[in-house]
Amino acid sequence: MATANTEEEKSKSEQQKNHGGGGGFTRWAVLAVIFRLILIYFPGNLNLSSRPEVSTPLTSIRRLAEGYWLKQSSMSPYAGSMYHGSPLLLSVLGPLTVKRTILTYSVANAELKGSLVTFYAVGCSLVFVLADLISGILIRATGWKLQMTYRKSLKSLNLLNKSTDSGGLSSGDIAALVYLWNPFTIVACVGLSTSPVENLFTILTLYGAATGIAPLAAFGWVMATHLSLYPAILIIPVILLLGYGPDAPPSKLFRSKENGKVGDDTSSQDIIFSWGRVLHLLVWTSMWSVYVLVLCSISVKQHSSLQEMFQRTYGFILTVEDLSPNIGVLWYFFAEVFDFFRDFFLIVFHSNILFMILPLAIRLKHRPCFLAFVYIAISSMLKSYPSVGDPALYLGLLGLFLDELADMQFSFFLFCGYVGVSLLSPVMHNLWIWRGTGNANFYYATAMAYACFQIVLVVESVSSMLNHDRKLMKLSASKLQK
Amino acid sequence: MAEVEKKEVAAATPPWKPKPRPIVRLGIVLISHSLLVSVVCCTAGVVALFLLPMLAKNTYISENALMPGSASSMLSNDDISEAERLAKDLTSLNSGAADAGIERRRVLAKYLSDLGVEVGYHKFEPHQNQFHPLHFFSSPDSGLSRENGSCSSYGINVVGIIRAPQADGKEAIVLVTPFNFRKNSSSEALSISIGYAVFSLLSRVTWLAKDIIWLVADSQYGEYASVASWLRDYHIPVFSASSSHNADSCFEGNNINLLREESLDRTEISSGFRRAGTMAAALVLKVTDVKGQLEDTLSVYAEASNGQMPNLDLINVVNYLAVHRQGLRVKVEKFLSVLRWEWIWVLGDTLNFIGKVAGSLNPEWKFGISTPDYVEGTATLANSLYRQALGIPTGPHGAFRDFQVDAITLEISPKVVYTNQGRRNEFILRSARLIEGVVRSVNNLLEKFHQSFFLYLLTSPAKFVSVGVYMIGFALLVAPLPLVAASLYVDANKPDPSSQGPKHKLQINFKPWKWLSAAKQVFTVHAWGVFVSLLPYFISQIPNSTPAAHSIIWFSLSTFGLLVLYLITKSHSKPQKGEWENLKSVTISVVFIGLLLMSVVNFATAQIGALVLVPACLLAQPLKLDIRDASLKSFLRIACNVFISFVAFPPVGFFVLKGVNEGFGDMDVGEFWTWLESLWAWNSATYIYIGMVHLPCWVLCLHILLHSC
Repeated sequence: MATANTEEEKSKSEQQKNHGGGGGFTRWAVLAVIFRLILIYFPGNLNLSSRPEVSTPLTSIRRLAEGYWLKQSSMSPYAGSMYHGSPLLLSVLGPLTVKRTILTYSVANAELKGSLVTFYAVGCSLVFVLADLISGILIRATGWKLQMTYRKSLKSLNLLNKSTDSGGLSSGDIAALVYLWNPFTIVACVGLSTSPVENLFTILTLYGAATGIAPLAAFGWVMATHLSLYPAILIIPVILLLGYGPDAPPSKLFRSKENGKVGDDTSSQDIIFSWGRVLHLLVWTSMWSVYVLVLCSISVKQHSSLQEMFQRTYGFILTVEDLSPNIGVLWYFFAEVFDFFRDFFLIVFHSNILFMILPLAIRLKHRPCFLAFVYIAISSMLKSYPSVGDPALYLGLLGLFLDELADMQFSFFLFCGYVGVSLLSPVMHNLWIWRGTGNANFYYATAMAYACFQIVLVVESVSSMLNHDRKLMKLSASKLQK
Repeated sequence: MAEVEKKEVAAATPPWKPKPRPIVRLGIVLISHSLLVSVVCCTAGVVALFLLPMLAKNTYISENALMPGSASSMLSNDDISEAERLAKDLTSLNSGAADAGIERRRVLAKYLSDLGVEVGYHKFEPHQNQFHPLHFFSSPDSGLSRENGSCSSYGINVVGIIRAPQADGKEAIVLVTPFNFRKNSSSEALSISIGYAVFSLLSRVTWLAKDIIWLVADSQYGEYASVASWLRDYHIPVFSASSSHNADSCFEGNNINLLREESLDRTEISSGFRRAGTMAAALVLKVTDVKGQLEDTLSVYAEASNGQMPNLDLINVVNYLAVHRQGLRVKVEKFLSVLRWEWIWVLGDTLNFIGKVAGSLNPEWKFGISTPDYVEGTATLANSLYRQALGIPTGPHGAFRDFQVDAITLEISPKVVYTNQGRRNEFILRSARLIEGVVRSVNNLLEKFHQSFFLYLLTSPAKFVSVGVYMIGFALLVAPLPLVAASLYVDANKPDPSSQGPKHKLQINFKPWKWLSAAKQVFTVHAWGVFVSLLPYFISQIPNSTPAAHSIIWFSLSTFGLLVLYLITKSHSKPQKGEWENLKSVTISVVFIGLLLMSVVNFATAQIGALVLVPACLLAQPLKLDIRDASLKSFLRIACNVFISFVAFPPVGFFVLKGVNEGFGDMDVGEFWTWLESLWAWNSATYIYIGMVHLPCWVLCLHILLHSC
């Protein structure tokens, strides 16, 4: 966070020197990539891939290597409850990890071993660095599109003035840089968790939907859902995005303006829901789903079945089988709960996410991108195996709505909270696991504090977005009265 | 800070909104009176710290299974005389001979194998401590690289293991006696005698439920190094063929003596590494000669790395048995210089008087403490705090804590150097019975030590302050930080009525994000702090230079770095309104987070750090404003600020503390370097605290003081 925000500040001043243009962004993006490469060069000291914050049962690269090893030795990759990811990921990333592990044990000479391990670790993490970079670029493009729409709608409401241009600095650039320089993203990338890839597909979905490319959105959504299940709820924002177009002020505003100026029906085009694009999306979605399922079944057909795949991936996510500590709140709860209540509470916890879908969709239907951000933040709070990759994603997306959320409350409080919790959590973990002077409650307390900060962030951002809409209403009403 | 924002909300409340909730109103009241609150809280925090010796509770044995002293001792004079025979055999060997060390090991091993226990040698190379700032966050083994050292220096520990006759061998108790095989020392021989007497008894008893390991640690390269390397090899087996091959070739190629020794040894003595189960507890036994004592004393050392303490029950058992069974005087280390301070005695008198008055008002109130008790308690507490804050283990027991084993060092010193064999035997008997009793108690344990406290400060061997009590003082001391940060933030970000834009235009102002530029400054200074704390790693690589030269290079490089940073980030624009308030607010928040973190990692460091940093941060205000004001209050504040920022500079603080303790006689610039080097060599979190929290915050306070507002 600290890095992200200060870097953002720096980029702001850089940008002002360059009088706009992509120079500042490119420079900082390249620096972010170089920074990651430097960190990858020292893997031994950091030992990030074994941290509970980075590698959950779903995102751990070690488990992926294990799954690939099982597959290579003619067994089901899901045997032994080690691997719980997608078989496609296994085919893409597996070869990179397995070379690394085999060479670690086969080469006797210590120095040669060291260099080879470094080489293959780099080979594997280069994929993640690339995924991060592409995510950053896609966020920037999405932000650009969102800003154009925002300007256009303000112009059509006659609210645009000079002060709205925030000094040649677009929110897309900021969002992309926040994503690239966020310590959470960097840690997830350097710690070799698979979350950069999952985040990439989620961002791809949003990009495709915001720019109106239905096949791309469908592909991103299918892949993201396939990899981590929770992005499934993004289908609602995606449909809204394709139907209504990117975020705009409430449609009531345009309607009242229309009423004010009788006879002018050009703006009424904006609020028509285009069913054609949505149908297009649904067709593409079903096509991509069939395609991915066929690929998966080809990949697993030798030693297991599609049914086992669903059981071991989605079933594993939904039944919270692994209770090893992570930064979420479910592991502790399900470690404590009596077995005969377990099913009940599983339903309660998962329906928590589902309960919030509909009210939020109704209230925020004019801002589908923001709705997607809220969904992602909520699911990363309530998901069964969260890692630092999840806050990385929604904090990056938060930057997209900088203009709307400019007068958000509690920003400093939230910043301090995130910094404090992300430092305190490893210390508590150390106290519990290595020193033995603390216990699980110490670590869980930081997880609860983290969940509270996330709730405050979601509540504050939604309320300030609604306030922004109210402000727009008031302004346009006062204009009409003149 | 939550309250700040709420206050903002409240300030801008449109008429239709209801009154804020009581908790919000409470927050608003606290923030608006932050000056009063912070003065009261800070004073209360400091007072609470000085009341701690009064609030100390008597220790008690919390784990019922321990049952100390419930069985009568089985140690007989036969064991003692056998042990004395061993000691004589060891001391009679000519210390000048080159192979005396090997001969002594052989004698010891022979005695041990005659007892019928398993004997093994453990060879090790003493490791130089290395700089590993990340060590704290990882497992004990990850920081240790097994690089090939020179083969010239190595040590050999002798290990004897008694297998418990009726147990499954999953648990063990460890006895450690440091012994320099190369040198002849009567006190070390005495400690071997005590160890052997206990060990020979334990090899015969039937009640053992845990294996007993006796480690005679080769102390020629320091006591800690030998114990630490034995523990490392015990817990982290080496599977890879290459590294063990290296070590073996080293020993085989370079060492003919060792080979000869192996050939002399009988076949039962295995050369492989022997293990027993997980360790329940460990006792390190030492005998020292201290002149001018009135009776036999037992000193207990418990502090391990980063202020970790063993379970209090272990100290309780030792204390109980030593005082009530063996009649030894138990003491823990204390600061003798505190006893000389006049004002502590005055404070003790005052507290004594208050206690008496309170007692006369209501006999139920018994919080009085006699003045000498109070001063002794304060001296012990001060030492306890200092040792924990340093984060350097006070003896070989520290190595055990890294593997979550509770361990203490028992240093027994006889009244006089015994020449009479009868008196000497009696001394050995008492000490050995103490060890026997402790081993028997620990042997009763069903689980690991968990019942009693891990977080405590000792004020005497039988009195302690638990975490629940000492945290109150600390919490009071740091409580003003978030309040003041909040009130400053509110002041700096008050909506400015004059600069409101025209109502009908859409105004996007990034005012709520104004703290970002302050956060950027704070972040830059902290990045500089990281740079400064990493510098010694490179500076120490410079060959042939003195500590003084090191310190000067370090100081000049750090200052240079700071100057470069200042020139890069210097803004030419006119300082804005509320800039220094924002900066101070962010600084205070960072100090708060840093102190909170440190109080979890190492409480003592956080407490001492808070005593310096909290007033420094709270008082900091641009000197320009105070000079402009020119009132008595502002002059007082200037004086306080200048004094605190002078003392808070780490080297100055170090020398002032040293001067107070040892007199301002001879000061050497290099001493500071040596002190810090010992901190980082022992992986103390205090070093990281000084480099990454204290120093940057000191710089930021200076920056605020010199701010041109």
